[in-house]
Amino acid sequence: MTQSDMTDDGRTEPTSETDSVSADPEHDDEELIETGVTAGTEGGSGPVGGRTIIESRGLDVYYGEERALQDVSLEIPEKSVTAIIGPSGCGKSTFLRCINRMNDLIQNARVEGELRFEGKNVYDDDVDPVALRRRIGMVFQEPNPFPKSIYDNVAYGLRLQDQTDDLDEKVEQALKDAALWDEVKDRLDESGLELSGGQQQRLCIARAIAVDPGVILMDEPASALDPVATSQIEDLIQEIAEEYTVVIVTHNMQQAARISDRTAVFLTGGELVEYDDTDKIFQNPESQRVEDYITGKFG
Amino acid sequence: MARESYQEKLDQLQADVLYMSEVVLDRLRKGLDALDTKDEDLAWAVIDGDEEVNEMYLDLEKQCIDLLALQQPVASDLRFIAASFKIITDLERIGDLATNLGDYTLQAERDVFPEVDAQSIGRFTIEMVEEAMDAYANEDPEACRLVASRDDELDGKCERASQLVVRDLIETELDEGAEVETLLADVSRLLLTIRDLERVGDHAVNISARTLYMVENSDELIY
Repeated sequence: MTQSDMTDDGRTEPTSETDSVSADPEHDDEELIETGVTAGTEGGSGPVGGRTIIESRGLDVYYGEERALQDVSLEIPEKSVTAIIGPSGCGKSTFLRCINRMNDLIQNARVEGELRFEGKNVYDDDVDPVALRRRIGMVFQEPNPFPKSIYDNVAYGLRLQDQTDDLDEKVEQALKDAALWDEVKDRLDESGLELSGGQQQRLCIARAIAVDPGVILMDEPASALDPVATSQIEDLIQEIAEEYTVVIVTHNMQQAARISDRTAVFLTGGELVEYDDTDKIFQNPESQRVEDYITGKFG
Repeated sequence: MARESYQEKLDQLQADVLYMSEVVLDRLRKGLDALDTKDEDLAWAVIDGDEEVNEMYLDLEKQCIDLLALQQPVASDLRFIAASFKIITDLERIGDLATNLGDYTLQAERDVFPEVDAQSIGRFTIEMVEEAMDAYANEDPEACRLVASRDDELDGKCERASQLVVRDLIETELDEGAEVETLLADVSRLLLTIRDLERVGDHAVNISARTLYMVENSDELIY
């Protein structure tokens, strides 16, 4: 699955579909704000600031008979960085893929419970997953620019949505927001594949934010990059979180500690064990299992 | 258990901090003995021993920095290292104060105000340091609070001792000349001794405060 698959699918979808998701009168902001958070079984608390933009309630995911997520409930505040950490197979990528229904593309995957985006359950029958993914962009472990020019990579989603007014300005702004503009402004017609790995990843981030999504999901976005490119991506994540909500899955606990506002710790069996402010998780977690995991005593 | 070498380094740090506290307490006991017996050799041993304490401090500081830089400790490990980093500073200062006792011994020519029991105050502060280090070794939050609560008692002892000195001084009738100078030096030294011992108690409280942070993530005793 690549991002191009998603956007290609979206070619014929009317943009008004997207608006209907957030405009659903049954799910206004008040309801979201008043919803109490459940943070796994061993404590944690609700978001300290920011309106809740994503909320999962009793989310279970099965791959065939195997249960990949167990009764996950948490609230993600907007315009912040939320990190999801945990050992391999703990369900953290599964959870991420639930948010924009990427699990739809996996055979045998079955989702129970609710995953709300701006108050609307994204698994409701009337939600179009393609329109949803336009509001919730995704950046993957391996940079995956299209085999097109740098300019066309960024303009791609805008053209699909017929947002071609001031296209040059929009492309420039997205590249600036992705901290890539200065490095590519003189060669916008070169192929995106000519760029270094770190630049390619920033190009993918530019492509994701060009269409102004509410949320950007990142699945190990820096794990294939060298330390310098990694630190650039980390800086960038914190910058774009001023405008967008970032949810990042990472194996790198120090990365989660460095860049995130909130951290969710999943442990084996798809259980959300603790979800709290990042400094709390890394200085004094409530759960002994989380303590043992982050200090490296197991896992 | 994963990260065995890291765990060994944490254990080593704790063992070395406890060893440093033993050395410092030994200096403190000998400083008090020297003051009591006017044993100049012992006083010199305490003074010369400060170099060893300083070296231990630097070595432990490096252990802490290395752990922070190389192991990215978090949660209770982080608090243990952060607390130890602060505690070794307090131990080093207690070592300096023990050295002061050695200096006072060399300077003293006679006893003034024998009714002021600096030895008793000294023993009290040593107990406080011992209890604080036991709390650190045993990760005992109640022991931390107990040490902190004893500080008021120590402060009271020190204040009474100082007042005794000042009151006696006011009431003493002096001849002119050299006797005044000598008395002034002796009184200053005694007041400094009392102040230094009171500070040892403050450092014991600091050690307890950082230990409580380490054990319970609480800043209850930190100022």
